[in-house]
This record gives sequence, C-alpha cells and structure tokens, in this order.
Amino acid sequence: MRKLTLSFAALLLGLSLTIGPALAQPAVNLTFRFNDTEEQPMRAALDQFQQQNPGIKVELQRIGWRDARDQYLREAAVGQGPDVVHMAQVWVKEMGQAGALLSLNDLMKKSPLPNGFDDFVAQDLAQDKQGVIFGLPWTTDTWAMVYRTDVLKAAGITQLPDTWAELHDASAQITKRTGKAGFGFPAGGSASGAIWFLANYYWWSNGKALVVQKPDGSYGMNLTAADIAESMHYFKSFITEGHNPTSNLSASDAHDPAILQALVAGTQGIGTMPPNTYKQVLESYAAANPGKPLPFVSGPFPKGSVTRTSNIGGRMLGINVNSKHPAEAWKLVKYLATEPIFTKYYTTQFPAQRSLLKKVDFGTEMKGFAEQLGYARTWGPYSDGPAPIGAMWNATGRAFSAALSGQRSEKDAADELLQAMSKLMQTRGQ
Amino acid sequence: MRGERLFIALMLAPAFLVLALFYLYPTLQNLAISLTDLSLLRLKVGGNWVGLDNYREFVTGPDFGHILFNTVVWLTLLSVALRMLIGLGMALLLDSRVLKRVRLSTIAKLAILVPWATPPIVAVVIWRWMLDGQNGIVNAVLKNLGIVDHPVAFFADLRTVWPSVVTIIVWNTVPLVAVSLLASLQSIPDELNEAAALDGAARWQQFRYITLPFLMPTITVLTLMSVFWTFNNFVYVWLATGAGPGTYTNVLATEIYIKAFVDFRLGYSSAVGMVMALVMAVFGIVYYRFLAPSELKDSL
Repeated sequence: MRKLTLSFAALLLGLSLTIGPALAQPAVNLTFRFNDTEEQPMRAALDQFQQQNPGIKVELQRIGWRDARDQYLREAAVGQGPDVVHMAQVWVKEMGQAGALLSLNDLMKKSPLPNGFDDFVAQDLAQDKQGVIFGLPWTTDTWAMVYRTDVLKAAGITQLPDTWAELHDASAQITKRTGKAGFGFPAGGSASGAIWFLANYYWWSNGKALVVQKPDGSYGMNLTAADIAESMHYFKSFITEGHNPTSNLSASDAHDPAILQALVAGTQGIGTMPPNTYKQVLESYAAANPGKPLPFVSGPFPKGSVTRTSNIGGRMLGINVNSKHPAEAWKLVKYLATEPIFTKYYTTQFPAQRSLLKKVDFGTEMKGFAEQLGYARTWGPYSDGPAPIGAMWNATGRAFSAALSGQRSEKDAADELLQAMSKLMQTRGQ
Repeated sequence: MRGERLFIALMLAPAFLVLALFYLYPTLQNLAISLTDLSLLRLKVGGNWVGLDNYREFVTGPDFGHILFNTVVWLTLLSVALRMLIGLGMALLLDSRVLKRVRLSTIAKLAILVPWATPPIVAVVIWRWMLDGQNGIVNAVLKNLGIVDHPVAFFADLRTVWPSVVTIIVWNTVPLVAVSLLASLQSIPDELNEAAALDGAARWQQFRYITLPFLMPTITVLTLMSVFWTFNNFVYVWLATGAGPGTYTNVLATEIYIKAFVDFRLGYSSAVGMVMALVMAVFGIVYYRFLAPSELKDSL
C-alpha cells in the first residue's frame, strides 16, 4: 500500500513538473515587427509590458525600412505576418485599403485611448475617407538641417544659410577653405531614398508640388519638366562641384553610416536628417569625445521663393488583419504610445500625441527641429490623391539618382519622372 | 511490351508529378498573372485582364535595350568570360610544378576555396567596405601609391560601377571553375605531355594541342552552366548597387524585383519574368540540342 502511495505521489510530481510549466506558458504570443535600429531599448520596453501583462508574451522582430512594406504586404495577403506592425505614416492608408490592416475603430471604442484619438497628429494619414482608422500615430518628426559649428567656423561662415542659394554657397565655401565635404546628402535612388524629401522641400519652398488638389477637387501636378530639371540641376551641382562626395550617390538613407561618420568625425560640415538620426550623431560624438561640448547646431531648411518647409512625418502602429489576438495587440499598441516609452526607452523619437509633445524639451542642439516643426506641412494631396506615395517616392528617387549620377541628362530624367507621374495619376499605381 | 511501358510510366509518374506541381503550375500561374494588372496592394482583390499590355510595355519601353545589354554583356558575357579565363589560369597554376616545388600546392588549393565558401551577401558586404569611397582600403592604397588624387566612388561612378560588380562576382565564383578544371587537368595522362616534349613540342604547343582539347568538354559545360547561373543572378547586383546609380546597373532579375516589390506591379513583373524565362529556354535548348547528347554518349 505504501509502495502504491509512493508511486502515485511520484507520478503526481512528475506530471506537475512536466505539465505545470506548459500550463504556465503565456496564453497569448504576440509578434511586434519593429523597423528602427533601437532594438535593445525596445526589447526592454516589451519586457516591461510582459511584466505588466503576465498572460502576454511579445516576440520582437527587426526588419529594415527598405523591405518592411512589401514584406508585410506579401505576408498579410496570405494570412501571415506579425500581430503589430511598424509603418511610415504615409503607408498606412494604402496598406489599410489593401486589406492588410485591421480597423482600429472598434478596439478604440472598447478600450479607449487615455486622451482620445484627437490627441494624435497626422490623423488624416491614419484613416480613409469613410473614417476607418488603420493606424495609431506613434511618433512624429520633421527633418531639419544639421551643422558642424567648428567646420563652419573654420570655413569663415558666421551665419546659418537662409536660402537655397546660400546653402549652396556655404557648402562650396566649406570645401574650398577646409577641404572637407560641405552639404553631404544621400543622393541614391533606392526605395526609401532621402532625395525624395529634399526634392519635395525644394519644390514646396518655391511654391510647386508634385501633387496638388485643383479647385474642382480633382488632382494634378504643379510641376513642369523644366521645374524638375532645375531642381535636379541644383542638387547635382553639389556633386559636380565636389562639395558632396560622389560616394553619396550610392547612399540613399539619412542614416547612411558614411554620412553619419563624416559628421561625427568632422569631415563634413552640413547634413540633413530626421531628429532620431541627429540624436544618434550627437550620442556618437559624445561617446567618442567624452566631456567635450557638442559642436553641432540644427537649423530650419533654407527658404525658397515662397517659404521654407518640410513635411510632418513619423511612424504609426497597426494591427495585422490576420492577428488572432487583436485585443491583446491593441493593448500592446496602447502601451507603446504611453509617455514612459518616449522618456525611458524609445528616446530618439518624439511622441505623436499633442499632450506629450508639449512636454518635450528639445534642448539647444535640437532647437532647429523645433523651429522647423512650425514650418512643416502634411503630405495632404499626396496622400489623398490617386497615386500611391510609395510609387511616387520610388519614381522620384530613381529619376533624381539617374540625373545626379549622370546616367541621364537632367532634361531626360525630368521628362521620365513626369511621364511616370502622369501614368501613376491616371492608373492609381497600376 | 505493353506491361513494360506501363511499368516505366508508373515509375516516371512521381517525377512528372513533382515537376508539374513545382515547375509547371508556378509557370502557368506566372503566365496568367503576367496578363493582368495585379498589384501588391490589390492581392486580395486580384488583377484585371490586360492581355499582352505588360509585355508590350516592357519590350517597347525605353529601358528594355539598356536592361538587356546590362544582363547579357556586363552581367553574363563579361563575368563568365573572366571567370573562365581566370579559373583556367588558376587551375594551371595549381597544377604546375612550381607550386609543388615550393610546397605551396596544398595551401594554395585550400586558399582558393575561401572565396567559394563565402556566402554572396558576405562577399558583397566585404567588397563594399573595401571599395568604399570614404573609408575603403582600396582607395587608401590607391591614394598612398599616388595613383589617384581623390577617392574613387566605385559603386557610384558610372565608369567603375560595373567593373566593381563584376569583380565581386568573379572573386566569389571563380574557385568552382578553377577546382573543376584542376580535376580535369589532373586526369590528363602524363605520358602525352612527355611524348610531346620528346618530339620537341614547346610548352605552348603542349597546352594548345594536348591540354586544351582535354579540357574542352569541361570548359564547355562550365561555361554553359555559368551562363545559366549568372544570367539569372539577382543577389550581386541588388546587394552591391540596388540597380543604381539611377537604373544604370539594372538587369532583368533586378527589374523583376523592382517592379514587383518596389513599384508593386506584380503583373508587369511577371511579364518580365516570362521574357527572362524565354531567354533561358533558348540556352536550355542549346544545351540539350548540342551538349547533352555528347555528354550522354560519353557516359555510355
């Protein structure tokens, strides 16, 4: 009898040891696909979320921005993909309309946001015309100019350039007087290319735009081939005159290591980038030169004939239409938009809530970004018009890259871009 | 006789089934997509029938000649020719008495395998760093030797971008050719060269009339296989240049990728894929018509 009792006890112990942990496994496994480089702090933020929600485990997936959109669309179309997806603000509407994102309206009703959806910027990019919300604006930013103060001083430049012509002259002066690169911008044409932003800022500041809404509500282009060729000529001059190294023709991203390294090392005087990239530059410089004051200053974009401008950009979070756990995914999305995420973990980004933005201390080096935010505009007709922003972005990048590298003449490249645009406007991207 | 045929058919059926499932079905599906305007943003809805519009647009488009030239001349002809020539040279060197005499033969044979064992992605990253316009070692050496005054942007300058890509391809793939030719070289009976030498044949004559004819079957097969692998190749160009600057290094494989996953035009991209498959089919016909029968004959 004792033997039997002992056997039974051993069996129970064995079962509890094997089945127990299995039963204690989190009931819900979520996947969050994150496209930025801050993997470690984001993992720490997710660990905190898991502690607060013991029933939910979050796997963090990393992917580069360049492949993020098409990879996700392919997966979502066949019932796969992460539960929570990280997107550029301008992708959300087309991805939602493609049936890849879950509508957030019901989730918001059931579990409302602390300050409501109205607290968020870029709402126009998050929802379609029927009011279906596909994404929650997560971060916001705008690009600004970045200067190495010591390089400017060595070149005898005492004031930040105020116009596009002054920017060109300052860039030339840096190279002439110091032998260093002047305005080093990424001039490549890959899918996430930065030249798209520079081209648009240049056009907008001169009262032009690739897409405008006409008084009758229809959409059209407000650029001629000559306008495009002129802008290509302007940016090409930095390369042909040697202020922007030719190697930047194969750099497409604002965070291209060669450009960031040149700014940190002081071999380049001027750059342009979003704030998170700028913060990385500041951190890299501080790490390499402990105790030294930061020789950087940010400033607004140069003025054109009409204004100075940039775009209000940023990222959003969405929930996969195929997610088996939308309620838990929404819980994660809401958590990621809370204040501690931006103050403790994801510190290179600015929150997209107006209430949180008011609390941000931009500091001396970031003042230019704060100033530029006042001039920034939304994508407006670009986002509402018939051509997908992604397709226009790619076409513009390729045309500029072809012109700037000398593959095509500025006129031919401008004509090709106009043809591509006109096709996109007619056919909704096909 | 009839039973024998049935038996053969039954034995072949699984292979045919696999071929139909994994080759025929995707090909037909791709053909069907190529006749539509399917977009990655409309995958769930499907595409509309556009007939041969995608083919017409590609073949009559301004980039068709440029892409075809890049694919055929730069990517395939040049890199295959260099691979075969350098591979032959390396095989002859590895088989030479000089290396054996200085006892470097084994080390050289092992060293030659290093590029082959390097995955293409790693090879491209290594070469991109070495050829970097700002911090690359190649530019540092060229500057120190006084060959250039300013760094060369190898992947951005139109004059150097293709030679740079071809260099990576050849570096990464030449060992296969070298090792294969070395194996063939070692199968040539020594007596032939000894007899020729006794008859007064010079080294060049021995190579021209003994070595080369022996190597020709291997060279032919390797050349054709190299053409297949290279013509189809996407990895090297995409990773090295992203088909740029502009579209300067765009080839058929990268055009398929760009149209499908950058511009989201799956229908158009499928049409480019079908054109590419047709060109490959021509190579296939050449192989089966002229080379396969002789190989079959040799093996019997």
